[in-house]
Amino acid sequence: MKQQLTLSIVGSGGDGAVAAGDILSMACARQGLHIIKTEAYGPQIRGGESSCTVRMSSSPIYAQADAIDALVVFSWADFARFRNELVIGPEAVVLHDSDDPAPDEIASHPGRKIVGIPFAKLAKEVGAPNGKNILSLGVVSAVFGLPADAIRNALKNRFKKKTAAVVEANLKAFEAGLTAGAALSVGDQRLQYTPGTPMLLMAGNEASAVGAVDAGCRFFAGYPITPSSEILHFMSEWLPRIGGTCLQTEDELAAIGAVVGGSFAGVKSMTSTSGPGLSLMSEMLGLSAMAEIPAVVVNVQRGGPSTGLPTKSEQSDLMHAVYGGHGDMPRAVIAPVDVEDSYHATVEAFNIAEEFQMPVIVLTDQSIAQRRETLAADSLVHEVVDRRIATPEELNEYRRYRLTATGVSPMAIPGMPGGMYQTNGLEHDEQGRPSSMFVMHEKMNAKRYSKLDALAKKYRLFRRYGPEKADLGIICYGSSMGPVREALDQLAAEGLRVAAFVPRLIMPLPAADLEKFISDCDQILVLELTYAAQLYQYLRAQVDLPRGKTHKFSRSGGRSLGINEVIEQVKRVLVPSHQVEEVLA
Amino acid sequence: MTTDVVYTPNTYKNDLKPVWCPGCGDFGVLNSLYRALADLKCEPHDTVIVSGIGCSSRLPGYVETFGFNTLHGRAIPIATGVKLTAPALKVIVVGGDGDGLAIGGNHFLHAARRNADISFIMMDNEIYGLTKGQAAPTTPVGDKTKSTIYGNPEAAVDPCALAISFGASWVGRSFSGDVKGSTELMKRAIDHRGFAFLNMISPCVTWRGDDQHKQIRARLRPLPADHDASSRETAMRLTNEGGPITVGVLYENKQPTLVDEMLEVRWKAQGEKQPPTKADILQQYMPTF
Ligand SMILES: Cc1ncc(C[n+]2csc(CCOP(=O)(O)OP(=O)(O)O)c2C)c(N)n1
Ligand code: SF4
Ligand SMILES: [Mg+2]
Repeated sequence: MKQQLTLSIVGSGGDGAVAAGDILSMACARQGLHIIKTEAYGPQIRGGESSCTVRMSSSPIYAQADAIDALVVFSWADFARFRNELVIGPEAVVLHDSDDPAPDEIASHPGRKIVGIPFAKLAKEVGAPNGKNILSLGVVSAVFGLPADAIRNALKNRFKKKTAAVVEANLKAFEAGLTAGAALSVGDQRLQYTPGTPMLLMAGNEASAVGAVDAGCRFFAGYPITPSSEILHFMSEWLPRIGGTCLQTEDELAAIGAVVGGSFAGVKSMTSTSGPGLSLMSEMLGLSAMAEIPAVVVNVQRGGPSTGLPTKSEQSDLMHAVYGGHGDMPRAVIAPVDVEDSYHATVEAFNIAEEFQMPVIVLTDQSIAQRRETLAADSLVHEVVDRRIATPEELNEYRRYRLTATGVSPMAIPGMPGGMYQTNGLEHDEQGRPSSMFVMHEKMNAKRYSKLDALAKKYRLFRRYGPEKADLGIICYGSSMGPVREALDQLAAEGLRVAAFVPRLIMPLPAADLEKFISDCDQILVLELTYAAQLYQYLRAQVDLPRGKTHKFSRSGGRSLGINEVIEQVKRVLVPSHQVEEVLA
Repeated sequence: MTTDVVYTPNTYKNDLKPVWCPGCGDFGVLNSLYRALADLKCEPHDTVIVSGIGCSSRLPGYVETFGFNTLHGRAIPIATGVKLTAPALKVIVVGGDGDGLAIGGNHFLHAARRNADISFIMMDNEIYGLTKGQAAPTTPVGDKTKSTIYGNPEAAVDPCALAISFGASWVGRSFSGDVKGSTELMKRAIDHRGFAFLNMISPCVTWRGDDQHKQIRARLRPLPADHDASSRETAMRLTNEGGPITVGVLYENKQPTLVDEMLEVRWKAQGEKQPPTKADILQQYMPTF
């Protein structure tokens, strides 16, 4: 029996590969199985090739698998589009339509079980000509011991707005698949699990949006951009229902402008975007820092520069997030490590923005934002910091930018009697009046930057994995956490002492904790998905990385970091005789 | 509001001294605004004036209301955010022709199209004042400026023509030298429900010459007696006039505003039903079958 199983379904537009993956994932989440589900599409806007990969496990998982154990293919021509992304495991079970035999390079592996099934024909026979995807779920359920009842229920739930006849036809297709699957002799392929409590199944963008709503965000302004638009869609649906407002603006300049306006007027506000949009927002983030107005931006990284790879992950907006913009511009950057953390990081972003009156960027990426993951039903809870409005005493001789010990000044909001002030993107004095005097500029820069010190002291956000003392310490952030965490378990099983430090707060870094980690590790490996090694460069500016003992692995995004890829890089450092496997397909 | 509160232009004055050159048209705009706010009895702490960057955009600093001098070209989106989150506030945008037509032109278009509930007072001096005299989208063709040494090669645009075609629901024009007339027009612009655009011809004495006031005054014309302000076609005829400059309310209509529309969206989304709980929101991700 298997402890885990990764299945891909590949088809073209009308085949319903993704719908089948959705139904299967929901059924497994219902049974308390851990799921990570990813999708990939061909370049066509509609009707092109699509693939859906579902990893299922009885114990927690943190990344998509490197290779698949099971494949359902309706057409090999469609599969060809994903040849570089879908690696078929050496012992995989490959189920293809009997009308379209497997190409030699796939079938010629002795360990693989290649099985032709007349998916389309069988589906037609039971009166469900569009149900070959559901039929394949029946086959998969029989072969891998996946919960048939839960799949039936998930299917009914999915089609609840369709006619009874459609539901009936699909259920018949599923049963036909079960029968066909039971007749196959492919050895014991069953996934071992004990049913547990149902889990939430959601994507990072959705978790971020829920986090924003929980944090009290009631104004969202945004401009569509892949891979962040799901946040706009969520806000468009839900904000009006809870008394909030969602505005689709004319561009990202207006989106972040409206957010600054909404927040200035007293309402927690947010926008979401991806690299090209973040570039446009830079100037306004400077205004948020200068006028000390809380603002939250979720930036979902994709391949860049320019239009780059709109649908693929990369970690190459890091430098822009931490340093982008003109002038000395304090800001916080927080990077979630998985779907659940997208929720927490977004609430924390609001908390930090409100407490320190500055812009906060949630630096996530396509792989976290768009993959679906199971999370415990009660995991989405986080303490919320409310806006602190100036007290009546503070309104006495009110100064909006009063110099205080923490650098945080009392904020009044429009509509408050006695709270009036005129503020500015120009350098200003404590009252907000323009000043271009050096002394004032220096004082106010010091005030604004002192907030980062207070922030760093209070928010030490990071994850640390592995032994206390290690031969190698990996430093990575964001979506790299998943494969690194899984690699650590495998490396520990091989007897290698490897630890990992994953800062969640990227700016300001939890520097003391990071320095302690560095001193507890014999050697360091900085790991990231950018060609130009942005994390490595940033860390070098922020902490002392031991010379001669620090290694880096940085490559372009476009494909997520593999678990084996991490293991290979660790061995490259720790096992001198190790020959690194070339992973580029 | 208690009845014994008296609102005078002085209510809105503060002790910050304008940085403008002596004779700058913007003084007239500021004085008219003080009077308009007083006549309308605008509660200072319920009023927000947002501007971009330019000589004209310094204005909010001189008015005792909430004020926000923001980024070049971005006053309108910020003001839109303010109004959508705090609809009870009076939101006024002020700024220059470069600010509103060049770098911020796209926002002007969309605020008008959305009928955002803000009044936009544009101080049109046919030049970039603050950056010391480069051509603006309103600079007449052929004019020599610091950036058009051999004469401006580009045609100028009439801001009112744009506002009318963008869908603004109130469009007016006035001359900053006429404080009385400007006060009246500002009152109507500020009182208008929806996007009101007031083109304030406001001479830059430093970069457009000392005799600007005189030259413009000579070109001013009142609205034709039979002007039909409800017709876009008629209003359009009073734009791009060449010689004469017609002042008054060129165009005016009543239509739902952005705030109205957003309330309508809330109504469609939820009606009188109880708002969803967190569990309701998470339901879609929970396999509860
Ligand atoms: C992004 C950006 N680009 C350029 C500038 C420089 N700049 C400041 S004001 C201005 C033009 C001002 O002209 P206008 O808006 O007509 O205002 P005026 O000074 O004439 O009142 C320019 C180009 C800036 N502040 N920001
Ligand atoms: S430069 Fe022109 S617009 Fe600016 S203050 Fe002087 S006169 Fe006024
Ligand atoms: Mg100008």
